[in-house]
Amino acid sequence: MIGWLLALPALCILGIAFLWPLAALFRISLNRTLDSGAMEVAVTGESYAKLLGDDFTWQLVWDTVTLAASASAMAVLLALPVALLVRAASPRWRGVLALMGIAPLLISGTARLVGWMAILGDQGLINVVLQGMGVIGEPLRMINNWTGVRIGLVESLMPYAVLVLLAGLGRLDGRLEEAAATLGANRVRTFFRVTLPLAAPALLAAWLLDVVLGISAFITPKLMGGGRVFVLATEIYDLALESVNWPAAAALAMLLLAGLLALLLLRGVFSWLPGRRA
Amino acid sequence: MLGVAGLTAAAMPAMAQGNGQITVMAYGDSIFRDNYVSAVIEPFQKASGTQVQYFANPGSAQMLGTLRSQKGDPQVDVVIMDTTTAALACAEGLVEKVTAQQLPLLNDIAQQARDAGGECGPGVTFDNLVMIYNTDNVKTAPTAFADMAAPQWRGRVGLGGPPNIQGLALTAILAHANGGRWNDISKALPALKAIAANTQTFDPKPDAVTVVVSGQVDFTTNWNARAQLASIQSKGRVGVVLPKEGTAFQINTINVVAGSKNAAQARAFMAYALGTEAQKAFTERVFYGPTNTKAQIAPEALNRTAMAPQYRDSIVNIDWAEMQKLRDSWNQRWRREVVTAAP
Amino acid sequence: MTLAATDTAPHLRLDGLVRHYAGAPAPAVDRVSLGLPRGALLALLGPSGCGKTTTLRMIAGLETPDAGRILVGGRDVTALPPHKRHMGVVFQSYALFPHMTAAGNVAFGLEMQGMPRAERARRAEAALELVGLAALAARKPRQLSGGQQQRVALARALAIEPDLLLLDEPLSALDAKLREGVRDEIRALQQRLGTTTVFVTHDQVEALAMADLVAVMNAGRVEQLAAPEEIFERPATRFVATFVGRAARIRGVLEPGGVLRAEGGAALRAAGAALVGQVEAFLRPHRVRLLGAGEAAPAGIENLLEGTLARRVYTGEVVSLEAQTAAGPVTAEVHASAEGAWREMQPGAPLRLAFRANDLLVFPAQGAAA
Repeated sequence: MIGWLLALPALCILGIAFLWPLAALFRISLNRTLDSGAMEVAVTGESYAKLLGDDFTWQLVWDTVTLAASASAMAVLLALPVALLVRAASPRWRGVLALMGIAPLLISGTARLVGWMAILGDQGLINVVLQGMGVIGEPLRMINNWTGVRIGLVESLMPYAVLVLLAGLGRLDGRLEEAAATLGANRVRTFFRVTLPLAAPALLAAWLLDVVLGISAFITPKLMGGGRVFVLATEIYDLALESVNWPAAAALAMLLLAGLLALLLLRGVFSWLPGRRA
Repeated sequence: MLGVAGLTAAAMPAMAQGNGQITVMAYGDSIFRDNYVSAVIEPFQKASGTQVQYFANPGSAQMLGTLRSQKGDPQVDVVIMDTTTAALACAEGLVEKVTAQQLPLLNDIAQQARDAGGECGPGVTFDNLVMIYNTDNVKTAPTAFADMAAPQWRGRVGLGGPPNIQGLALTAILAHANGGRWNDISKALPALKAIAANTQTFDPKPDAVTVVVSGQVDFTTNWNARAQLASIQSKGRVGVVLPKEGTAFQINTINVVAGSKNAAQARAFMAYALGTEAQKAFTERVFYGPTNTKAQIAPEALNRTAMAPQYRDSIVNIDWAEMQKLRDSWNQRWRREVVTAAP
Repeated sequence: MTLAATDTAPHLRLDGLVRHYAGAPAPAVDRVSLGLPRGALLALLGPSGCGKTTTLRMIAGLETPDAGRILVGGRDVTALPPHKRHMGVVFQSYALFPHMTAAGNVAFGLEMQGMPRAERARRAEAALELVGLAALAARKPRQLSGGQQQRVALARALAIEPDLLLLDEPLSALDAKLREGVRDEIRALQQRLGTTTVFVTHDQVEALAMADLVAVMNAGRVEQLAAPEEIFERPATRFVATFVGRAARIRGVLEPGGVLRAEGGAALRAAGAALVGQVEAFLRPHRVRLLGAGEAAPAGIENLLEGTLARRVYTGEVVSLEAQTAAGPVTAEVHASAEGAWREMQPGAPLRLAFRANDLLVFPAQGAAA
């Protein structure tokens, strides 16, 4: 009883900040868009039917999911050494290193874009160096396309993976690796036989979180995609703010939300599987 | 002078009602906002005694959102937004209708600006699509959109693609220039694909001026007012061209919000904003074309707008209401045929 | 296990080991040197923070000494990483691999040696057999009780037939009831296999019961390295005397001629004439004999103290009688089954205590110049 009372403020915030707008969004998705573009209050599934019947929607879903899945895998792969380093560091350095690992979280999307332009752009660091060394003639195109979005997304998802892995690896008893060493395992074998299998649940959790964030990512595809990377979030933005077709934007947002909820449920099912305890 | 006198008379009743306060909703970017406040809003406050709150919004769609959510109880009295979005607000009854009988000033407003508003408020600013380029890298001044398709500019072009209205306007201009009506996209596609082959970004970020100044690309399409300011502020590093294929207007209309609690003052503001004094002041500051044909604009400012006599024939008349119906299919064709033509 | 092997080179030798953690005011391990014959069991005994676990971890290669050497079978292993040292370690928390079965855990070390699958399965089974857990080979660690996990950890350490077996407080996580049985099992197994073993504990009973040699550690140093009896009966330092076993403390001045004048006024015969001056003497309760009223002190017992009973503590097998005497509080221990007048005594009753001069363990008083 007291537990419910204590949770009440959070539940209220959740209700006001999440459920109410969600209900409003759902209501809008049932409205009708007239030929003139004007919105007519109605209760119709036209927007859903149109979206679900459009090949482009399914292309968007496929592109979005594969982008999120691959960028998340890369982010987790890059985050793992960082997390391991933080874990191995002395307590004095641990805080500093952990902060460095999650520092990208502190930078705004626009500042990040400017940074990436300076690195990946035609006149950016990489192209200038490679051209200076005579490795390439024409600049490599690493921004304003899928490559740029992948790079940007990996960077923006990595801190979340680092956070999840730090929490996960923090529970991993360092004595296990010492035990492996005393039994004759060198560092590499210790890593693959002991550390990695025990980190697997944390890796999966980090990947799934990143996939969810990656699927709903908007800023990176919008800022680094050069207008040729179409994913669900940018499409919702375009429908809402450029085409001003709210029912379609709302319907697509609802579909995206349903997909993400399904993914989270899947994750819940994973964690309930037998043998995943501790 | 007559216009100003008429306006002052029109503003009188508002003052008599005890000066009051209105909220004007318009663009939040500093170029529009700062200049509109000094050129139009502050003089109006002085003349009428009405206090004006400037409610800044990132774009027209957000303004429409505000109007829709406040339909029962409007907190905004006047709205300045893009004609395509304003047409939706007009159709949904979110803004007042207005006739020349109610507002004789409408007779001084350019026909295209009146058409842009339909039955609701008319255009208050004209802007038009231009091309900007980096004068350090592009030594020979370009004259046409088609110049962006020259082989040496591979990967050096930025376009605002649909659903952004820049892309819609560009398509209409190129359709018209290549022997079709503005709405015949098939005539525009070959030229668009040729430019797209050189295009690095169809959504220049952070904005179309910065990417040219920074050298990330050498050309972008842009709206004239911003381009002119950028050209002046960059001391000529940014060159502006009104291409020979022509140009098309982006029109912001002004409307009194339906159900405004300060309708009298709101109408007075609308009249002032459309009057010659405000039109002249705003054009001379930021090179948005005047919609009031009686406004006497200094030639050096006028020459930086598409309203200058030499550009009169380059203007492609787009029916934005019809465009609204074409938008979806143009959007799809761009994605399938134009964007895919880029490397 | 006899200590006759000391005349040959010790199997394990620590030579001036030092470990000083950055920022710590004093070294955790300070110039520890000792030798351990092949097949012997050494207990590192001391309070927490005395450096015993750090010493063990340095032997295993899990910590790097700042100075000193570690020799096993005459070979200097100080610079070898742990995976090349071939030592079986049982951790306090057991550190069993949770994702492997008991058999998988035990076979892990053999797998690392490159042993073929079939043979290592056989050897793992044999090792589990050794600790009586062959039936639970397929279980994961979390499906085993604490005692079973402890035995799997032991089997895992022994399966590689290590040069040294290192046990870090292996009994501390077990119930008090289990502890004694497992203790004896480990000792029996160690003796049967003849594995040279180092065992870290803070429990003196464990150390005395299991070890061939006990190194009592305090503040990073070895205070005394000796067989259990010697540690108990002839502590080399004041710290050993107080840390191992109980003792009454008698302060006083030792006069030339072997008379200890206690602060309370008693004059006692004591050995250790070299320590003339301010001293502290320790007297173990089991050395104090209780005399009946009028009973004469047996021949050869030099000291007789009279006092009054202050407290009687019954602990089942023995009864402690704490007396107020002219030498201060002194405790005598009586076997609970022994007949005598003490059974009727109430606090305040007179008491006569006898002990030998040799039973007084005399050390220079703390703070007094040696």
